[in-house]
Amino acid sequence: MNKNDIDLSIDFCGIKFKNPFLLSSSPVSNSAEMVARSFEAGWGGVVFKTLNSDTTPIIHPSPRMNGYGYGNKRLVGLQNVEMISDRPLKDNLADFLYLKKKYPDHVLISSIMGFSNDEWAYLARISEDNGADMLELNFSCPHMAVEGAGHHVGQAFDLIEKFTNTVKQCVSIPVIAKMTPNITDMTEPAIYAKKGGADAISAINTVSGISQIDLDGFIPKPNVFGIGSVSGTSGPIVKPIGLRFISDMAKCEDLSLPLSGIGGIETWIDALEYILLGASTIQVTTGIIHYGYGIVEDMIEGLTDFMVEKKIAKVKDLVGKALPNLKTTDKFDLKRQGRARYDLTNCVGCGQCYTVCRDAAGFALEWDPEKRRPILNEDKCLSCMICSFVCPVSGIISYTEMPEDWKRQDACVMDRSLETQIKYQPFNANPLISS
Amino acid sequence: MDKRYDFTQAFAEADRCLLCHDAPCSKGCPANTDPGKFIKKFKMQNIKGAIRTIKENNILGGACGILCPTARLCEKECAGSHLDRPIQIGKIQEFLVSHGRQIGFKVFEKPESILEKVAVIGSGPAGLSCGAELAKKGYKVTIFERMDEPGGVLRYGVPSYRFSKAYLKTELEDIIHLGVKFECGHPIKKDGEAEDLLNKGFKAVFIATGLWDAASIFDENTEGVYNSVDFLSSPHTGRLDIVKDQVKDKQVAVIGGGSVAMDCAGFAASLGAGDVYLIYRRSFSQMPAEKEERIESLEKNIHFLILNQPEAYLTNDKGMVSGIKLVRTQLSQAKGDGRRSPVEIKDSQWVLDIDLVVEAIGNKAFDLSDKLYPGVDIDDKKLIKARLDNCQTSQQAIFAGGDIVRGPSLVVNAVCDGKTAANAIDSYLVRRRAKLTTKEG
Ligand SMILES: Cc1cc2nc3c(=O)[nH]c(=O)nc-3n(C[C@H](O)[C@H](O)[C@H](O)COP(=O)(O)OP(=O)(O)OC[C@H]3O[C@@H](n4cnc5c(N)ncnc54)[C@H](O)[C@@H]3O)c2cc1C
Ligand SMILES: Cc1cc2nc3c(=O)[nH]c(=O)nc-3n(C[C@H](O)[C@H](O)[C@H](O)COP(=O)(O)O)c2cc1C
Ligand code: SF4
Ligand code: SF4
Ligand code: SF4
Repeated sequence: MNKNDIDLSIDFCGIKFKNPFLLSSSPVSNSAEMVARSFEAGWGGVVFKTLNSDTTPIIHPSPRMNGYGYGNKRLVGLQNVEMISDRPLKDNLADFLYLKKKYPDHVLISSIMGFSNDEWAYLARISEDNGADMLELNFSCPHMAVEGAGHHVGQAFDLIEKFTNTVKQCVSIPVIAKMTPNITDMTEPAIYAKKGGADAISAINTVSGISQIDLDGFIPKPNVFGIGSVSGTSGPIVKPIGLRFISDMAKCEDLSLPLSGIGGIETWIDALEYILLGASTIQVTTGIIHYGYGIVEDMIEGLTDFMVEKKIAKVKDLVGKALPNLKTTDKFDLKRQGRARYDLTNCVGCGQCYTVCRDAAGFALEWDPEKRRPILNEDKCLSCMICSFVCPVSGIISYTEMPEDWKRQDACVMDRSLETQIKYQPFNANPLISS
Repeated sequence: MDKRYDFTQAFAEADRCLLCHDAPCSKGCPANTDPGKFIKKFKMQNIKGAIRTIKENNILGGACGILCPTARLCEKECAGSHLDRPIQIGKIQEFLVSHGRQIGFKVFEKPESILEKVAVIGSGPAGLSCGAELAKKGYKVTIFERMDEPGGVLRYGVPSYRFSKAYLKTELEDIIHLGVKFECGHPIKKDGEAEDLLNKGFKAVFIATGLWDAASIFDENTEGVYNSVDFLSSPHTGRLDIVKDQVKDKQVAVIGGGSVAMDCAGFAASLGAGDVYLIYRRSFSQMPAEKEERIESLEKNIHFLILNQPEAYLTNDKGMVSGIKLVRTQLSQAKGDGRRSPVEIKDSQWVLDIDLVVEAIGNKAFDLSDKLYPGVDIDDKKLIKARLDNCQTSQQAIFAGGDIVRGPSLVVNAVCDGKTAANAIDSYLVRRRAKLTTKEG
């Protein structure tokens, strides 16, 4: 199998996407001028910045974003207080027409959010009339400070059903419902959306959070002239949350709708992980905010090479492929145990393994101060593997399974003589029987 | 000065640090700077703590960050070298010290000066660090300095493009803030005057006069031949314009292969010399200058005339130097593990046309320096004999450190001696105080 055998296209709600990589609704999809450039770069489609019907004036807070860094790494996360599109509706619709004319084989998804039933209907119809291939209903924007809009709806499940239903009544194009992650169980609202007629679910929108506080003025950031706010967090730090919600919905038999995965995607691996957990398209914002549209080139190339390597010709054959191996923790086989294995050939002698094992793990390492190398006491190793997470050299520390008769040493007790003084009775699960 | 880090770059570099258990870098600093500790503090955003770690240990932490040959000190054993390259400890250190100033962070409270008076002779790194350390302990310190301004080599030696005088000023401010008094333009010059300070109310003396006489190659004086001390100090002794005139667009030869020779050549280049030749009688790899310095000199287009030995200066009709007679050399066979020495190649004399010569073949103690402290033992090079672990000379109450004890050395070693001496002086004066009270009692 070679590159030419790979087909990245995918069917999503009966619509063909040339590849599963889409811009999500955000500043990266704010105008046709930008979206056109993204299409030239290789993106398969766009969820346009959420439309506004001109009835409510949209003014963005200023400044409207704050970067979340970790150590030297910038934009591990992003917090924003941006509203829906601040452009006049007609400008956006003219851009729709332009994009459909210029890029007929790219998918244009109109994201809408209404403040009333009628407004949902109006925006849905006008999108379809001006060339949108699909709709995405934004039930999840955490910043629309109006009751009955954004994630307030996302958290009031009957409204999701009602508005979805309204929209479905007046358009014939497929409808995606976009979910907020600021809840515990996403399958519930997703099922409401399905009842309302939704054809697919996309998730996640931003996670409510606080990224940073300005320590001089005690003002959370972004600092909008002295005021900060809990608002939407995105980027790599939210990927685990996004993956989890997508997998929950993918496993939910009552739902069984196509999924579009969003949250912290930057590389083909991030995208693939969403796909393996059940998404058939994926959407990106923060990755583009960080690096620009060009990342799609690496997503396409990386995913293609991977598929060649795995001899999988179609993206659809990857969708959900990891789901059978995702189970609840009670399914683990606890009889099988292992430990860390050290090959010190390339060890640089930093001792980070020693420090973390001493202070956060099994104290299974000793430190040879002469050679400046760790020495593993195998029987004390907990197999937590944290040493391998901090070791700066690849391949030194690996996991190895031990034979069934291997026994791990218990953690040491400092002073056994104190046992006589313990105030203690064994816990009895069924006191009625014992007494 | 070398391109310095800003916050982002310094933080990025600190992020590369492996935060080693028993960090080898921390054992590489002669002045006991603890990079393992200050980098970890920096990485944990404990920035003031990081600055405090540096400055409490080394009052010239910023200067050392810039001037230390880190490749063979702290960075030498850095575990990062085994990955790709060592952490740039010196540059992080310099950044932190500068950053502290930028945010107005003062590491030291002004101490109460309630203890005895101590005299320090010389305001180079050794004198400065001793003075600061003593002041922190509560002593009343006066530093006597022969030149008009403090700093020693940091001011009158190291060229500004490597270490700016504005930077020196900020380092000095911290020392002044500690209450150290400076008596500049005040040479200790009379016979026995150094020891006499003990009769003038000072209870101890630290001699840190450095090496300020320049060795010369030939006995006679030739016009147009500078020694390194006069040449490098010219910007700060009001002679810059004259020297500039003599150097700009001219052919300059620097003789020597050490760090000071590299500075002289670099300084000449910075003044716009037409060509700068560096003449050294041994090989490139035998040059005492640090590898980095040699490479930097090459990058400044300085022409290295290695394996060439000066025989004589030629002069023109006005008595000005006009050329150097050189003889080519070859390295002898190695005897044991001794250094291979240069042997003249017969009939290989040649003449290099030149407008100016700078001799940089080593600094030494002033000829009559020993007269200032007749009771203090010296060696045949007139270096003061003092123990490295307590800077004690043969005279009670007189301590010495820095280049005047070690011979040409490093800023960081001078800082180390200053600290060692301060601790030794403190113990000495504590003992003395105890004796006095028992006598009184
Ligand atoms: C050109 C040059 C470049 C160098 N570059 C580096 C470098 O990059 N990195 C590095 O680590 N080291 C470098 N060194 C070496 C380093 O500068 C010295 O080892 C260090 O300065 C020694 O400090 P010190 O305090 O002993 O002496 P000095 O710095 O020499 O200070 C001695 C002070 O005593 C004063 N003094 C002398 N006699 C009297 C007197 N009788 N009365 C009053 N005051 C007196 C002098 O004027 C001077 O201010 C360099 C040296 C030179 C010459
Ligand atoms: C390996 C691991 C085990 C944990 N076990 C517990 C636990 O037993 N009880 C608990 O309340 N929280 C537990 N936590 C959660 C932590 O207490 C903490 O709330 C969480 O990790 C977030 O904090 P942090 O990211 O700043 O560490 C655990 C976290 C980790 C990483
Ligand atoms: S796996 Fe855990 S317990 Fe085992 S050596 Fe590593 S840190 Fe220690
Ligand atoms: S963390 Fe890795 S490189 Fe560092 S000492 Fe341990 S095994 Fe060696
Ligand atoms: S040796 Fe290098 S990597 Fe280790 S703590 Fe020191 S600076 Fe960091």
